[in-house]
Amino acid sequence: MMFSLPLFKQSVRSNCVLWGAMTSVLSVLCAQFAALDMTQNLLFLIFYGMMTTILPGVYVLVTANKLIAGQVDRGSMAYVLSTPIKRTSVVFTQMVFLIGSLVGMFGVMTLVHLGVNQAKPLSLATAMGMGAAGGNEAMAAAVTGDLTSKMILQVNLSALVVCIAMAAVCFAFSGIFSSSKYSIGLSGAFVGVTVLANMLAMFGSMGVSGLDKFKYLTICSFYDYKSVLLSGSEWIVKLIFPALIAAAAFTAGSLVFKKKDLPL
Amino acid sequence: MPDMIRIDHLTKDYGQGRGIFGLDLSIKKGEVHGLVGTNGSGKTTTMRHLCGFISPDSGSCEINGMDCRRQSDRIMKGLGYVPGQIDFPDVGSGTNFLKLQAQYLGIKDMSYVSELTERFGIDTSAPLKRMSKGMKQKMALVAAFMSKPDVLLLDEPSTGLDPVMRDELIDLILEQKQRGATVFMSSHIFKELEDTCDTVTFIHNGKLVNTVSKRNYDPEELPKLYRLGFAGQEEYLEFKNSTAFETDSFNDKYLHLTVSVPQDRINELFAQLTGYDMRYVRYVPYSLEMYYKRVIEQGGNV
Repeated sequence: MMFSLPLFKQSVRSNCVLWGAMTSVLSVLCAQFAALDMTQNLLFLIFYGMMTTILPGVYVLVTANKLIAGQVDRGSMAYVLSTPIKRTSVVFTQMVFLIGSLVGMFGVMTLVHLGVNQAKPLSLATAMGMGAAGGNEAMAAAVTGDLTSKMILQVNLSALVVCIAMAAVCFAFSGIFSSSKYSIGLSGAFVGVTVLANMLAMFGSMGVSGLDKFKYLTICSFYDYKSVLLSGSEWIVKLIFPALIAAAAFTAGSLVFKKKDLPL
Repeated sequence: MPDMIRIDHLTKDYGQGRGIFGLDLSIKKGEVHGLVGTNGSGKTTTMRHLCGFISPDSGSCEINGMDCRRQSDRIMKGLGYVPGQIDFPDVGSGTNFLKLQAQYLGIKDMSYVSELTERFGIDTSAPLKRMSKGMKQKMALVAAFMSKPDVLLLDEPSTGLDPVMRDELIDLILEQKQRGATVFMSSHIFKELEDTCDTVTFIHNGKLVNTVSKRNYDPEELPKLYRLGFAGQEEYLEFKNSTAFETDSFNDKYLHLTVSVPQDRINELFAQLTGYDMRYVRYVPYSLEMYYKRVIEQGGNV
């Protein structure tokens, strides 16, 4: 049996507070950016461009550590592993929880956005940031029509895959290290660099020369909402990379956790 | 009786002399076996190997014929473990924790669990994080005993328990023995080992020093120890220099000494003491602790 229901329940119980908080904040911010006239042209630039990686980034940083390394470090993993459960099942169940909780988080937020968009449609020109500092006027002028539900789903899917890749890297550190200190330290550095470089790269794309190079430092560059808004297909191709990173990181974390000595 | 636990030349070198080195041990089915050693002598490392948490550098260990590292999930079906460090999963109350452990172990009938919590006087509705050290230890004991496992690995199970609860634990261990379970426990509290264990293994600096069965450390026929307190220094010295009995220890300042007296020479001792002005004569029970001290003093060679 690869999946352990009791362990899944335990993970839900110990991580639901942070999940709930992050999901609420994301949903409220999303509704606010999408509904208010003042912020509508920043919905993609600020909310989808930054918030959808920063907030889930904080969530995966804390949660991935708690799922494995934290429990090994504290010793509470002994109670899990002194039952008839394989380490493979532990790591698999925790991975399912981590991915599942992200899917849930983006699911709730997507539903909120779909609802708001139904009530208050947004023109694609505004969505591209027409009139906002940093908005792409040339691109905005080229598009017509409103933001569709399909686009909302596609943007969220794209952000979700990148967040799963980020989660996988944190999860790998959590599986590799038996000490929270290293697991959270390296995950924190990784998430920090990822979201900061993403922000700097965004300023770069607004025309601050020199900062555009930062896009090579962050996996958030694989998340391409502009391509979605322009009805392109690049965004799908770009998702292959974070998907591969996620697969490799989850595999590495699982293999090390399976083999290593646990100080329990 | 077949061996339930077999440790074969187990070595785990953590460097700087820490770890365990070439440990050999076998524990028969239904035996209560104690593991004694100072802090850092390798007790917990041994337990961790048996639970399959760590891989040996060389050697092997098995429980019920299954390799501890590779088949730990199968072993765990019939094993209860009390870890040396107690920190619970983050699941809120004690009740939540026990329910969760029952689910892991596939226990549906919670009557034995409530019997155990009642016996130890645990308020399981309290949040785990607010529990005192002793309360946490009792929770860990309930979690380990709840499935009535065939094998129990107890790493210092009485840590933090008050004397009454310690006696309760001893009763509980003896009950497990009654129903045929094999118990392997580490401890440095000799009383509980004396009361429960059939055999005790001493380890020091990761090496096995000696394995003694109960009759070897508590035999009726062994010489008995008496502590003699004298009223005056002269008499004390006179007795000390003239006695025919082996002196186990002495203290010139407090004027007392301990002699080792074979069972059949007890009257000889009292005859010799007749002329002396005594403060007290006390029988010193021969304990595992003394055995252990002697073993360590002799550099581990018995």
